[in-house]
Amino acid sequence: MLREKHHQYIAAILKRYPVKRSAMLPLLNLAQREEGYVSEAAMKEIAAILDLTPSQVYETATFYTMLNLKPIGTFHIQVCKSLMCALVGADELIHWLEDHLGIKVGETTSDNLFTLSVVECLGSCATGPMMQVNDDYYERLDRQKVTQILDDLRRNGTSPLKSGPFMCPEPVPPSS
Amino acid sequence: MAQYEKILLRNMEQPGYRGSLHEYERTGGYQALRKVLRDLSPAQVIEAVKNSGLRGRGGAGFPTGIKWGFVPKDHPGPKYLCCNADESEPGTFKDRQLMERDPHQLLEGILIACYAIGAPVAYIYIRGEFRLGAKILERAIEEARGAGYIGPRILGTDVGIEVYVHQGAGAYICGEETALLESLEGKRGLPRFKPPFPATHGLYQKPTVVNNVETLCNVPHIVNRGAEWFASIGSPPKSTGTRIFCLSGHVKRPGNYEVPMGVTFRELIFELGGGMRSEKPLKGFIPGGASAPFLTPDHLDVKMDFESVAQAGSMLGSGGVTVMEEGTSMVWAALRLMEFFYHESCGKCTPCREGSSWILQILQRIWAGGGRPGDLELLEDLCKNIEGRTVCAFGDAEVSPVLSTLRYWRDEYEALIHQAEATRTTKGEIPVLTM
Amino acid sequence: MAEQHTPQLLRVTIDGIAVQVPPGTLVIEAARQVGVMIPHFCYHPKLEPDANCRMCLVEIEKMPRLQTSCSTRVTDGMVVRSNTSPVVQAARKSVLEFILANHPLDCPVCDQGGRCDLQDFSHEYTPTVSRFTELKRIFPKEYFSPLIETQMNRCVQCLRCVRYCDQVMDVKALAPAGRGTMTEIKHFGHHALDCEFCGGCVQICPVGAITSRLSMYEYRPWMLKRTETICPYCGDGCQFTIQQKNNELIEVNSTYGAGRNRGDLCARGYFGYHASTHPDRLRHPLIRRPDGTFREVPWEEALEVAGERLMGIKQAHGGEAIAGLITSRCTNEELYLFQKLMRVVLGTNKIDCSARYGHVNGIEPLRRVQGAHRWTVTFEDIVAADVLLLVGTNITETNPITGLKVKEAVKRRGARLLTLETLLPVRGSISNITTLSSCHIPVHPLGYGQAVNALVKAMIEQNDVAPQIREQAVEFYRTIESVLRTCSWEDLECDLGVSRYRFFEMARIFREAMRAVVLIGQGVLRASRGADIVTNLLDLLLLAGHHQRPGCGLGVLAEENNDQGAVEMGALASYLPGPVSLSDQAACQAIASLWMEELPQGPSATLPEILNQARVGHVRALYVVGENPLASLPPSFNVQEALERVEVLVCQELFLTETARHAHIVLPACSYAEKDGTFTNTEGLVQPVRRAIDPVGESQPDWAIFSALSVVMGYPIEYGSAKEIFKEIQSVIPRYALLGPAPTPPNVHQDVVDRYLHGDFQVDVTQRYTWPRLSPKSEKRLTLILTQSLFHSGKFSTRAKGLLRVQAEGTLLLNSTEAARWGLQPGGMARLSNERGAVSVKVRVLDRVPEGMAFFPEHFDHDIRILFQAEVDPLTQVPCWKQTSVTVEPQ
Ligand SMILES: Cc1cc2nc3c(=O)[nH]c(=O)nc-3n(C[C@H](O)[C@H](O)[C@H](O)COP(=O)(O)O)c2cc1C
Ligand code: SF4
Ligand code: FES
Repeated sequence: MLREKHHQYIAAILKRYPVKRSAMLPLLNLAQREEGYVSEAAMKEIAAILDLTPSQVYETATFYTMLNLKPIGTFHIQVCKSLMCALVGADELIHWLEDHLGIKVGETTSDNLFTLSVVECLGSCATGPMMQVNDDYYERLDRQKVTQILDDLRRNGTSPLKSGPFMCPEPVPPSS
Repeated sequence: MAQYEKILLRNMEQPGYRGSLHEYERTGGYQALRKVLRDLSPAQVIEAVKNSGLRGRGGAGFPTGIKWGFVPKDHPGPKYLCCNADESEPGTFKDRQLMERDPHQLLEGILIACYAIGAPVAYIYIRGEFRLGAKILERAIEEARGAGYIGPRILGTDVGIEVYVHQGAGAYICGEETALLESLEGKRGLPRFKPPFPATHGLYQKPTVVNNVETLCNVPHIVNRGAEWFASIGSPPKSTGTRIFCLSGHVKRPGNYEVPMGVTFRELIFELGGGMRSEKPLKGFIPGGASAPFLTPDHLDVKMDFESVAQAGSMLGSGGVTVMEEGTSMVWAALRLMEFFYHESCGKCTPCREGSSWILQILQRIWAGGGRPGDLELLEDLCKNIEGRTVCAFGDAEVSPVLSTLRYWRDEYEALIHQAEATRTTKGEIPVLTM
Repeated sequence: MAEQHTPQLLRVTIDGIAVQVPPGTLVIEAARQVGVMIPHFCYHPKLEPDANCRMCLVEIEKMPRLQTSCSTRVTDGMVVRSNTSPVVQAARKSVLEFILANHPLDCPVCDQGGRCDLQDFSHEYTPTVSRFTELKRIFPKEYFSPLIETQMNRCVQCLRCVRYCDQVMDVKALAPAGRGTMTEIKHFGHHALDCEFCGGCVQICPVGAITSRLSMYEYRPWMLKRTETICPYCGDGCQFTIQQKNNELIEVNSTYGAGRNRGDLCARGYFGYHASTHPDRLRHPLIRRPDGTFREVPWEEALEVAGERLMGIKQAHGGEAIAGLITSRCTNEELYLFQKLMRVVLGTNKIDCSARYGHVNGIEPLRRVQGAHRWTVTFEDIVAADVLLLVGTNITETNPITGLKVKEAVKRRGARLLTLETLLPVRGSISNITTLSSCHIPVHPLGYGQAVNALVKAMIEQNDVAPQIREQAVEFYRTIESVLRTCSWEDLECDLGVSRYRFFEMARIFREAMRAVVLIGQGVLRASRGADIVTNLLDLLLLAGHHQRPGCGLGVLAEENNDQGAVEMGALASYLPGPVSLSDQAACQAIASLWMEELPQGPSATLPEILNQARVGHVRALYVVGENPLASLPPSFNVQEALERVEVLVCQELFLTETARHAHIVLPACSYAEKDGTFTNTEGLVQPVRRAIDPVGESQPDWAIFSALSVVMGYPIEYGSAKEIFKEIQSVIPRYALLGPAPTPPNVHQDVVDRYLHGDFQVDVTQRYTWPRLSPKSEKRLTLILTQSLFHSGKFSTRAKGLLRVQAEGTLLLNSTEAARWGLQPGGMARLSNERGAVSVKVRVLDRVPEGMAFFPEHFDHDIRILFQAEVDPLTQVPCWKQTSVTVEPQ
């Protein structure tokens, strides 16, 4: 399935490494982007592409926490709960989200739209509390922003509140 | 407030600077690469980096030029450069900014490093969560390839270098250099025991250098402005150059601050960072990422260079400075960090694997009001049994929050235990398992 | 002038004891040499160091921190403290404390109890009260498969199992899943573990985390009685320990480093031991009633009747009317005594054994070309080879342990593997040797002759012939060259579907080898004109100049445990013990005088000839020992008719087999586990087989039955024990069986080689190098091939309950494209048919099977056999019938 659909991408990835197995994470990431999680079928296929046994793909996949081995919601909300974010309100953020979505951490909303997870440091410690939704970061969150982001996501699948290229503190605008 | 010359952040602090190839070139970008290809032998580049006194910014602070010098010169097969962009140390977010805001600065550093060690291929191992950073780097690589900076014949010379972005998938330990290599080889990210070192047996068992993003970003500037210039910045001879400190926690203006090494914590926190965010005074701080032992207000005047911080009983680590105000429970802070270490221990070594979960459970119990006499001594003993007994430095790192908070704020632990003791008489003893 | 470099020894002091060791020695190994046992979990001499358990920490002078002795190599002058260092002792205590923290302490219900490293070290290092009072993390118990249980709570995460599965077996079925304390050893997918079932993970686990379900909760180690013996399945001849309790087989294992297998086993060895005590074993002698049913009789009566009737035939029609068949599964002593009994007492040369099914195709060419009937290399030479050429064998499935040597050579020592094989190099749950190949050429099962031709042709044409042959045997290589000129590359490429340059590449690599070993498997040995192919491969060795180089040679992989011994014992048409050719008058005479007997003068007969003669009434009595031709040959061979026609059929057997059902007299024999003797393994090492349990029922060792029968027949060749027979064998075959840890292989006989190079090769050279063109692939038909399975050996193993849990039936194996082409569903049924009949079989998809073909395991060929037609090799009389062509429909 991956092979048919992403033939060129896979070929390009394989060319980058002298040893096929190195393409493991790129391919696992690809599989997850494709289905939202890494399915057994995908692991078998990756094994065949890389000339490995499925167990070798499986053991690798289970090591990396970003890879979901079970289906999850369309939007995977991951809140950083490490100390630095916790100092500036990560726990409140988690409560807001639980409140708003009506689920607990680790659960998926019944419409299969949102899965809520907590994770360790995402490299946003100066701009917490923060969360990652699929590929995007959302930083310096407050309750109102969270509400808006979730609404945006529901409605448009994306939100303008996501972070752009990171810089903190922001450069001082030229003094007028 | 003292003004310091920025080196790495200079470009991006120019308003409107977006880090395109064009902009980067306009500020003198890729001149260092041209100079190196034109005028310098690999050995001369290594010599310059040695003389600059540049030390790794990833955590261990190993002298970069010396590391490059370990790579066998006449090795017949391929060699590799791996740029460590895994940036997962809680409290650290400088590499993210360097990559997203000025990717070509990093690429130029990578290309020069490759030239110096004779590596035809570089991989940038970036943590999987940094999707945006990865995209920006990919785009920058395409730009640089288009301009002839990357490819089989760079700038018409017979030097060929390829640079690839490799995304991780969520594992802090993959920032450890040998785990990074394993992960890059498509395996579980378990650190390898050393020796042999990556310089001789690295990626695919070939000679390999692993360098942090910030480390590599310094390289073009050393080439451009000379090793002496670099060596004169900061606290020579052992801590030269600037460092980007990542300030977080209870301060007014958290963020990345680039200052010469040797500036004091007081200056960083109270001048650059604008001081505490509320009226509550400073209670303690972590000087170099989650792995560095906590320090107290007594240490505010310690200079931020490798030696001074080490002397104060901690380390500069990754440069993540996290500030905590009065009222923050240090038991809780240690617990939060221990949750991180428990979650991220790769599981290879017995003491780290089992110790992290045991320590975490004791902290959780103490925090939840189940502390018992003897817990603190047990904690200390467990920490000692982990320290220095593991394959990688993670083992040393995971005990530092516990040991240092126990050292400076033992009374907080004791108070929790006393309180628990007082209530326990009514609730009965927690059963003890015996063999 | 190059200086002679002797590796210097390094001096190291451990706990005050000085020792010198070679460079590269690990501290833990040096310590063992001076008797300092350093506790460890993750270290294992078969595996690359991983240094994960941290149990083996020691203090080394001038080094900061404690060091892991399992990963630190000795340097000169190193001073190590282990037991003498309080810091080290404390560290070990603490590591154990950490391990025990999450350990369930369930020793009373753990099968490892009594031989558990964790138990032993805990006994030595830990206090009795644990400081761990938190909650233990708990994994549910899992059944990996019907054979293996895991209890991950007991796991110490040393990863020995995973590393063994990868580094030694190359199977890579086990996966450490998860991270940190939550890591557990698992396997892929929501189904039972699917692997080679070598039992290696069970054997190498230092604790009770992975255990065998065949013997769960049945014992404590000290209740078991152990016997070291040899596995009865394949020619590798692995040494293992049978453990029994109250005469019941409880477990089999193999100690680290033991035997030619060095402690490794395969599924058959590790899980197949119950075949011996299967409830269907014959317990009493039987005599057939006229209505076809059997009645149990006392031994005296059975022997009396058998002796009387055999003698009756001899007296009435002469010895030539009697023939004997014996299985190569018997011991050397039995094979020897059988042929002696047949020759001396019954006066016939009509004797054959199961080596006829293929092994003889290797023996004859070896004798002819190099004068030795055995391997001239050993397993050690395989490991040390720099180039290995495997022809017609997925070695793992027929000779798994020889396969391990090949894997070791390739994976650990960087040898280059060349393969001519039908399988495609696609990874699967059973290791496929071609995936390790650096040059693999796919060969159709009928194409080995042509493929070897192409290889020889490539070698000659690109001037790779060794100078000494070029100079001293001009005629030899010129003749071959000219014969091969008549077979064009265009034809070869068309037939084989492979470019000539692949052969050029393979020939070049082979030629450049310093130590080249060729291994030949069933694909060639059972093929029509297999002996020609083997001869041509020997030519290849000669042409490359490898025949005289130490460490180079050609090995014929013996399928059954004692194929090699059967040949050497003379239990084969045309050979006396030695093997001495019946045509070698002088040598025969020497044996006769040793025996102080007359040798029969009548003709010999091979298995197909014996059956033919029985069918037409020339052979009137058949003595069949452990052979089952009715089940080993296709119906088209008319074995049934032969069995029904003979006047006397005596079968000596473990089970009432298809053949035995036709017998007039059935004599119950002992399995290998119930008797003493020796087996000769594929590389020619004679190894002792020892009695581990009492005979089942009234069964007797075969040799004892022969002995008794000779007495009854009034011509006693009586022996009191297998040892006595063995002594006689040694006198008949000089220097037979220097029992030792490794065989001393015979050298190539230079005079024979010379004779061959300078004339003898001529005899059939044109014919040997001329092969019929392969018929083009038919779109309408599928080539069906009976293949070996790793989980079975002949049909004996289909009585082993452990192996039946892995594979209890035959399935049609074909690749997914082929399955789709015929409209077959995995798990569904397929109807196969041809001129000879039709059968229905279950379908399984296996991508290593090439297009246009389907495989079926021969051990379950009962119904499918009707589709096959046997062809007898005119040269060596090997019945070739393992492939046919069929049409397929889904059902
Ligand atoms: C547990 C652990 C995590 C680490 N994580 C990182 C990281 O995220 N980024 C990084 O650059 N170095 C990290 N390091 C340090 C690297 O091992 C290595 O020292 C560094 O990449 C070398 O580059 P440098 O010499 O340029 O600092 C980590 C080390 C340890 C022990
Ligand atoms: S110290 Fe911890 S993280 Fe490092 S290798 Fe050992 S178990 Fe893994
Ligand atoms: S035996 Fe050395 S670390 Fe396990």
